[in-house]
Amino acid sequence: MSEQLLAYVEKDSLIHRADALSKLLWVVIVVVATFQFQTAYTRALMFSVLLFTALFLAKVPLRSIWRVSPLIFGVAFLLGAFHYVVTKGTTPLFTIGSYVVYREPLEAGGAYFFRLAIMVLASFLLIWTTDTYQLMVGLAYLGLPYRYAFAIFMALRYIPLIQREVEAVRAAHAIRGKAAQSPLKHRFRLWQRYLFTVIVNGLRKAENTAVAIEARGFGAYPERTYWKEFHWTRSGLLLVSAFTVFCVALIVWERFSLSS
Amino acid sequence: MASSSPAPLVVFDRVTFYHFERTTPALSEVSFVLRRGSLNLLVGPSGCGKSTLCMLMTGIVPHLLGGVLKGRVLVDGKDVANTAVKDLALSAGLLFQDPEWMFATLRVDDEVAFGPENLKIPKAEIHPRVENALETVGLSRFRHHLVWALSGGQIQKLGFASVLAMQPPLMILDEPTANLDPATTHAVHELILRLRQQGKTIVLVSKELDEFIAEADNVIYLADGKIIAQGQPRKVIHQAGLHMLQVGVWLPEPTEIGLRLRKRGTLSTETLPLTVAEAKQAFSPLSFTATQSDVPRSKPSGDVLIEAENLQYAYNPKVTALRGVSFAVRQGELLAIIGQNGAGKSTLAKLLVGLLKPTDGVLRLFGKDARHWKVAELANHIALVFQNPEHQFLCDTVFEELSYSLLAKGVTDPAEIQARVVETLRELDLQGDAQTHPFALSEGAKRRLGVATMLVGGGAQVLIVDEPTYGQDRRMTERLMEYINQLRQAGITVIMITHDMRLVEAHIDRAIVMAEGRILYDGDPQTLFTLEDIIRQANLRPTALNRLLTDLRQQGISVPAHINTVERFIQAVQ
Repeated sequence: MSEQLLAYVEKDSLIHRADALSKLLWVVIVVVATFQFQTAYTRALMFSVLLFTALFLAKVPLRSIWRVSPLIFGVAFLLGAFHYVVTKGTTPLFTIGSYVVYREPLEAGGAYFFRLAIMVLASFLLIWTTDTYQLMVGLAYLGLPYRYAFAIFMALRYIPLIQREVEAVRAAHAIRGKAAQSPLKHRFRLWQRYLFTVIVNGLRKAENTAVAIEARGFGAYPERTYWKEFHWTRSGLLLVSAFTVFCVALIVWERFSLSS
Repeated sequence: MASSSPAPLVVFDRVTFYHFERTTPALSEVSFVLRRGSLNLLVGPSGCGKSTLCMLMTGIVPHLLGGVLKGRVLVDGKDVANTAVKDLALSAGLLFQDPEWMFATLRVDDEVAFGPENLKIPKAEIHPRVENALETVGLSRFRHHLVWALSGGQIQKLGFASVLAMQPPLMILDEPTANLDPATTHAVHELILRLRQQGKTIVLVSKELDEFIAEADNVIYLADGKIIAQGQPRKVIHQAGLHMLQVGVWLPEPTEIGLRLRKRGTLSTETLPLTVAEAKQAFSPLSFTATQSDVPRSKPSGDVLIEAENLQYAYNPKVTALRGVSFAVRQGELLAIIGQNGAGKSTLAKLLVGLLKPTDGVLRLFGKDARHWKVAELANHIALVFQNPEHQFLCDTVFEELSYSLLAKGVTDPAEIQARVVETLRELDLQGDAQTHPFALSEGAKRRLGVATMLVGGGAQVLIVDEPTYGQDRRMTERLMEYINQLRQAGITVIMITHDMRLVEAHIDRAIVMAEGRILYDGDPQTLFTLEDIIRQANLRPTALNRLLTDLRQQGISVPAHINTVERFIQAVQ
């Protein structure tokens, strides 16, 4: 009954209208460019552009992004914090009490934080706006053997089902009460159990799924037919070219300004 | 029908099958044939080999899941032992119990096209196949919908359409209505009969035999992996009906009454009824006496434990689950919350245990506003057993599972824990399973352990059970109900959320009917089943027993008012 965190949401938007392959290519461009950017500033700019794309061009509600923010920012924050701690600073920026904040660790931390956040947000945007079947058709159009194409994207199909399972397990555990243990030990036990229950049930269901799909002829032949055809779309090409120009310009500008 | 198609579609010739790494056979010496265009029912208690038989016909065993096959299985002329699953897929389509996990794509029409695409059917041919399949199941309007926007019944129908599009002559349906509300179940049953009319051969595993037993061409009755009886339904019921009742097969209530009256000598063998209409005929000469069940039940007068006034709940601005419900539950009641899938029943249960908080209106639990209860604290007063009891288990053995609950309730003395766990294991009839992993128990035992983990240690005054009979055969259900009745005698209030109308009719004092987040009816089940409007609105359907009683009364036969079980019907017959 609760909202799906990571699933295709049907909407009429520029990004939704773009064909699946262009969107996949767009994610690749964004990720490659992010590795080319050298400072936290360019990455922050790229992240802002992505956020704008998500909110206004893909019409993803802020609420949806907020709800998955632990996924987008959690690991990125830890990675950023790690680099903040290990980077030696020489240029003081400001002080909080007696604690001095230096420019270098802040920039290093920011650079790592934004790099991961960009990659995750771009992938989520692809998931939110793309019908996985279209992706499969697109990849088959490129000549990728269909078993591989399906294996990657069929997993996405089951995220909402797994989410539902996790929610059910959490609710069921919540009402079991807490045996006399330290809170940390209790939390650890619960996590252990979430994993156990979700994995056991997940494996059982994965087996059912694999069997069911095979019984429907999946993998029977090296090729299969597709009842819908792949078409490049104008909005897809627009998205790819706009981001290519933007990324190249940003990389060139950054290199130029850093060298001068 | 038989003479027009001489070659049978399915042949099992002395089939014995061992599952992977098992030493006892799941099927032994099973032989039968299925005629083309026939409707075949596969019946038997849980674990009797029905699902194994279904998987054999599609080659899932032994080809995908392993196992040892002796004897010969022929499907559409193909020997299963040497035919690949993909080639068998052209002859036999299997619809799984929970089809949502068999879907590979996101959209209704893509899902239907998935099978034909895999079989390399040309594009031009797939389009009409998709259209026809969706038309047959009545989903044409939903062809562009996303799979997760469908209701439970529509998901089942999509499962049917996906199998139909592959155009196999044989369709195998394993419990296709296990989790559907009664009216949706009826709609799926009508679809199955329509498919048979279109020439499909159907193998159906279902506990809802009421609507099929008379329509079926063939019944195969399995117990312990062996065929006990097979043939025309009437013949099988005559031969083995009492045996079926003993081992825990659900038979239609009129049939069960017929069998038991015949055993008692009140009914002659020629008139054993399979349907309500036949029962009306067969039972019309009977006369009834007033029994002690005619004593009206007393109204519960215990304290009010739960009180809701204009209770509302919304998951988000677009999804409102409860639209103002009001009711009160008193100590010692046994009540059921019923209604179609998505009516708001589970949401209500979550509000009652504090997992959700009301968005508006009043909900008082044990005299205190629900918003002020903490979940863990409330768990000492009110217990919820989820539909899948596995979700609640936290430990590696049954013993630990029960001791965990005791620890959570503040019992710390090891000797006391030991004594109380042993006592509970005895009540649950699980003495031999103290060291078994909870996940490894039978479905019935899991459900009972689920209830016990919530109640051991005392304190809880209210027990809520979500779909207590889901996936349970008759014997398991009876044992669970015995256990629940013991709890009630100990003063515990029990609330059940269920689609099982037999359960409601037989055990429940009060039914709350919900539809679209509102309460449509709150009262006794007997009156409910006479209110056609509410029955229709809430997607319910009276039980066969209830329909029979109505018919008998309409014939002018004086039937005692409070007959609500087969048992009481038989007692009342002179």
